[in-house]
Amino acid sequence: MTLFAALSAVLVVGVITYLARAGLILSLADRTLRPTLQRALRHVAPAVLSAMVVSLTAGGEGLDGFEAAEIAALMVGAGATLVSRKLPVGLVAGMLTLWLMLAVT
Amino acid sequence: MTRRAITDALPLLIPAVPFALVLGVAITETVMPAGVAWSTNFFVFAGAAQLALVSLAATASWLTLVATAVVINLRHVMYSAAMAPRFADQPRWMRWVGPFFLIDQVFALMAARPELSGRDFRRTYLTTGVLFFSVWTTTVTAGVFIGGVIPTSWRLDVAPAIMFVGIVILGLANRANLGAAAVGALVCALALELPNNLGLLVGALAGVATGFLMDQTPIAPEVKS
Repeated sequence: MTLFAALSAVLVVGVITYLARAGLILSLADRTLRPTLQRALRHVAPAVLSAMVVSLTAGGEGLDGFEAAEIAALMVGAGATLVSRKLPVGLVAGMLTLWLMLAVT
Repeated sequence: MTRRAITDALPLLIPAVPFALVLGVAITETVMPAGVAWSTNFFVFAGAAQLALVSLAATASWLTLVATAVVINLRHVMYSAAMAPRFADQPRWMRWVGPFFLIDQVFALMAARPELSGRDFRRTYLTTGVLFFSVWTTTVTAGVFIGGVIPTSWRLDVAPAIMFVGIVILGLANRANLGAAAVGALVCALALELPNNLGLLVGALAGVATGFLMDQTPIAPEVKS
């Protein structure tokens, strides 16, 4: 790969990535949001993050990517977070579950 | 405020280290000029897209390379939309600088702190963003020289998913949020076979649509963002 091809690819991806992140912040921040848009935006975080959990857990291997140990870790982590209302507690509980499951299976 | 931002970020920061080391190793193996590959830290700053650029350079055409990285980063449009109201009271420079740091972890951590606004939001956001950028860039650079030193058997790759689940749970405000999360996860699972991680985007859009349809909360007709 030539220096020009590599550099142009990186720059183009960089500009598009920045525009993806900045575009709506810059264009919407000074405008009045329509009520329907406000309503939709309230659900972006739970929708994207839960989809990301599935995507990360599958690890690019489709449905075959799910491991019992990972699912158990997620469930215990979720339960611990729910009960304690503290993210680090959920993380520790989830990781301990993962390591325990991997050790015994 | 700054200390809390750092404390909150740590659980998501540590799992990013092995990924950054892997990227560093990939930079030493790519057909792309090493300096250009390393510069993705500054120009792109998005782990998955960086890894795709660096690792696909040998086999993909220029157009495929760019398209793949762009598709991987499409979810950032949704982050931008969701964060736009929170930038409404920010100065102009912050609106231009802030989005550079809008990676998955920063979005998740700020979504977990909806009460922040104005100066508190800005300090927390920038502290978190600069922290991730500094650690990421330093670790990728270290990876170029020392390679993977953290055993993959530690499975730190699972930690972000556990954190994201926790953030979703703590952020659920109503049944519509729950519907958005459940449908987002389910549709993403059903669409996992789509190329370039498009299932993530499809799932997220389905989740937002579900939340929107289930949402009965009254909202003010005109609110300045």
